[in-house]
Amino acid sequence: MTFLARVPRRLIQLACFVGALVLIWPVLPWAIAPRLLQQASPFVVVSSSIAARSIGVGAILALIVAVVSSFKKRWFCLYLCPTGFFLENTNHIGLRKVSWWRNCPPIGRYVAVLTIVGAVFGYPVLLWMDPLCIFSSPFAMNKSTSVVSVILVSLGLGVLVGATFLFGMLWCVRICPLSGLQDMLFAARKALWTRMAANTPTRKFVEESSGGRSFSSDMKLVQISGASAPAAAHRFNAARRVFFAGGAGALLAFGARALGAARYRKSDTLLRPPGAVPEDRFAGLCIRCNNCTHACPTKIIHPDTGHEGGLAGFAAPVVKFDRDYKYCLETCNACTQVCPTGALTALPLEQKNKYLIGEALVDNNLCLTALGKKECDACEQACPYDAVKITWDEDQYNAYPVVNHKCIGCGACEVVCPTTPVRAIRVWTLKPS
Amino acid sequence: MRRSIAAGGLFAAGSLVPVSSALAGQAGEKPAAPAAGQGPEKLPHQTGSHVPATLADGKVTQPRRELPVLHKTSVLVVGGGPAGTAAAFTAKRMGVDVTLVERYGYLGGLATGGLVLGIFPLYDRGNKQVIFGIAEELMKKLDVLKYGIIDRGKAPTYPTFDAEVLKYLLADMMLDSGITAFLDCWGVDAIVDAKGTVKGAVFESKSGRQAILADIVIDCSGDGDIYAAAGAAFEKVKTNIGLISRIGNIDEVDMAAGRGSEDPGKPVTGKPSEGRPSKGRVNDFGGHAGNSTPAPHMNWLNMRGPVGDALDVADLTAMELKHRRGTWSNVEKLRQKQGDEQAFLAETAPQLGVRLSRLLDGVKKLTVQEIRSGAKFKDVIGYSGAYANAPEFQIPYGSLVPEKVENVLAAGRCISTDFEVGDITRLIPVCWVTGQAAGVAAALCIQDKCKPRNVNVAKLQNILHQQGAYLG
Repeated sequence: MTFLARVPRRLIQLACFVGALVLIWPVLPWAIAPRLLQQASPFVVVSSSIAARSIGVGAILALIVAVVSSFKKRWFCLYLCPTGFFLENTNHIGLRKVSWWRNCPPIGRYVAVLTIVGAVFGYPVLLWMDPLCIFSSPFAMNKSTSVVSVILVSLGLGVLVGATFLFGMLWCVRICPLSGLQDMLFAARKALWTRMAANTPTRKFVEESSGGRSFSSDMKLVQISGASAPAAAHRFNAARRVFFAGGAGALLAFGARALGAARYRKSDTLLRPPGAVPEDRFAGLCIRCNNCTHACPTKIIHPDTGHEGGLAGFAAPVVKFDRDYKYCLETCNACTQVCPTGALTALPLEQKNKYLIGEALVDNNLCLTALGKKECDACEQACPYDAVKITWDEDQYNAYPVVNHKCIGCGACEVVCPTTPVRAIRVWTLKPS
Repeated sequence: MRRSIAAGGLFAAGSLVPVSSALAGQAGEKPAAPAAGQGPEKLPHQTGSHVPATLADGKVTQPRRELPVLHKTSVLVVGGGPAGTAAAFTAKRMGVDVTLVERYGYLGGLATGGLVLGIFPLYDRGNKQVIFGIAEELMKKLDVLKYGIIDRGKAPTYPTFDAEVLKYLLADMMLDSGITAFLDCWGVDAIVDAKGTVKGAVFESKSGRQAILADIVIDCSGDGDIYAAAGAAFEKVKTNIGLISRIGNIDEVDMAAGRGSEDPGKPVTGKPSEGRPSKGRVNDFGGHAGNSTPAPHMNWLNMRGPVGDALDVADLTAMELKHRRGTWSNVEKLRQKQGDEQAFLAETAPQLGVRLSRLLDGVKKLTVQEIRSGAKFKDVIGYSGAYANAPEFQIPYGSLVPEKVENVLAAGRCISTDFEVGDITRLIPVCWVTGQAAGVAAALCIQDKCKPRNVNVAKLQNILHQQGAYLG
């Protein structure tokens, strides 16, 4: 820490910013690199581990961040956070005049509480507010196939930059759940230490007195976010807010899960990328980092406008097969490897090729073969899993494509089907038969 | 061109008449006199002179006998389908003596009798036409005939012609060509000399079993009947056999959008079913059935059919009967659809839609790997357009020449390819391409006194090029 304190903060921030870019832009020959960025966030790791009831090796990074942050107030924000670095610089060129929000309560803490309580019920409600996800999302832009997608992936960071330009460091100081969580960790550690110090009065702690001093003077952010004098009434209010936030988290979690499940039952076209957890939990676990969108070599993963997944699924990845692109390749499992929260389970290639994205169904009212228009067997030729066969039906005295149980919904047939505007063979949401 | 079809009465006479030679005043080898009388002709009472097959000890045997030689020719074309007519016309234009034999009573094979009315694949991936020569000539002639052809030059939509118009056109061209033609005449065997070299073919017709002697035989039978009989090696394949039909009074609303295209990027058709299609849903013809043809309110409706053996008479018979029953039930189903209540079955194709049967083992076996990788051949004789997932590809002359047997060339669907390529080279315009090349090659064999495998390929390509064929 003392070493770090001597190095100019900006330099470390810049290095971390570049490091984040290297991780997101997969220059490293390491498939999982992009997800390491988000897994440095204790907010993401704590929430997703609770929600998924499992903890991965990636949690080590977050653990280190959590421990250091509990000793160095907002250490992550000030030194490591690429979003923070980006917004700080935005703030320098911004208007910075408005400070109406300085009396705002620390919303980030309640967001963190709400989300973690939601996670206990399997649905980390506001996990998408994690700044590292917001940071990485726009980098999926190079895989966007429409203007809408470009807007969707850059929406989060765009809003933050706009808000920072207008109002200063509102997000970092008051709203960011990651900084809120760090504050709570710091406060908890301090409270614990104080209690222990009371039991052993001979010990003295430097950190307690140097909380704000070690940071450069222009960082108003620290002074503002520093714990204010704990009046009894304030503490009561804070406790009440935490309680309400937790309650809201539980309710929202239940509500969102029920809605997600209902949505999936009703939908015919909702397709999630391979490895996706069941729909009731997917929209919660998914943090909209768009790592999967970015990782997909065939550009079939798109951020959802809400058309497929509803409001809860806004901007979460959906699979769409476009004739101009390819399908979910049998040689690729990239998207499952880059998900930091387990919304997409990390599947080995062999497992991914067994994951059911959806099921291909044929509309014989469109099929060229079924309508006696031409000798088309494009779907049969294209299928990598031997799941589509043009079959002669002696009873109907006609031939049409028949899809067997080997179909995983990879979309290979859909992208080659020549009928327009609607393709005769399409991948539909999987229904329990 | 507009010769009166009154001469067609010669066909109707039913006797085996070398029509053109009779008309052109050329002396055939043994041309029967045309039935010239105005009324029915009474011939003297006769007793059958034929020695029949005999049954003895449970075995049927046929006595060894000498066959009458009906005709002698330079180039004998067996089969009058797209490949056979293309081969005969081009060979004849090179000034050699050509005889054509056709099993049915009309020319055009599967293009007319099979009702395969769509001319595809004609274009490359970039919608550029890659098949010209005799194909383009025929299409140009159809252009000026009323209700002859539609959708010319509208790539990627392929042109569609009318079967009867093409039958007329081919008959008209045949009558004027100077080719000696025998229709209603089924090639059943090859004639080989002591060295196994092909010297002609044997035919069965109402005139009985007869021989035609020839210097070069072009096997355009589709099934490779002649090269197989001559002892050439081949690969036998079984694939779907259907029966195409024409449906009249069909819903006009969808007509403009009702045509398929071989380009995956271009519009085809249809009203989608409402909502999610159920698994294994069968066709209720909710969509627009078939493809429009030059005849108004008339669609041709393809049938894939079950897999069958095109060389097995039992399979063929079963399909002829069942396909017609199936077609009828499909038309009844079609009439359930709004707008198609008055649809009627105009015709089922006279010929079964046999796709492939024999594939020659030629000097060169064209493989799917080669066509996918865009292989170039020194002996290219033409192109096939892009079809389904395959790009346009070159067809080498070696695919028309049997590996072993001499004096035979193959053209049409039975040339030397693997199954996947054969599924493309079997299509109508590609048969025109191989037929034209085989016709020129056969004429060169006569002119240069060489075997088909020794044909001067540069000369062959040069002549094809002069005839307007596209060689890349």
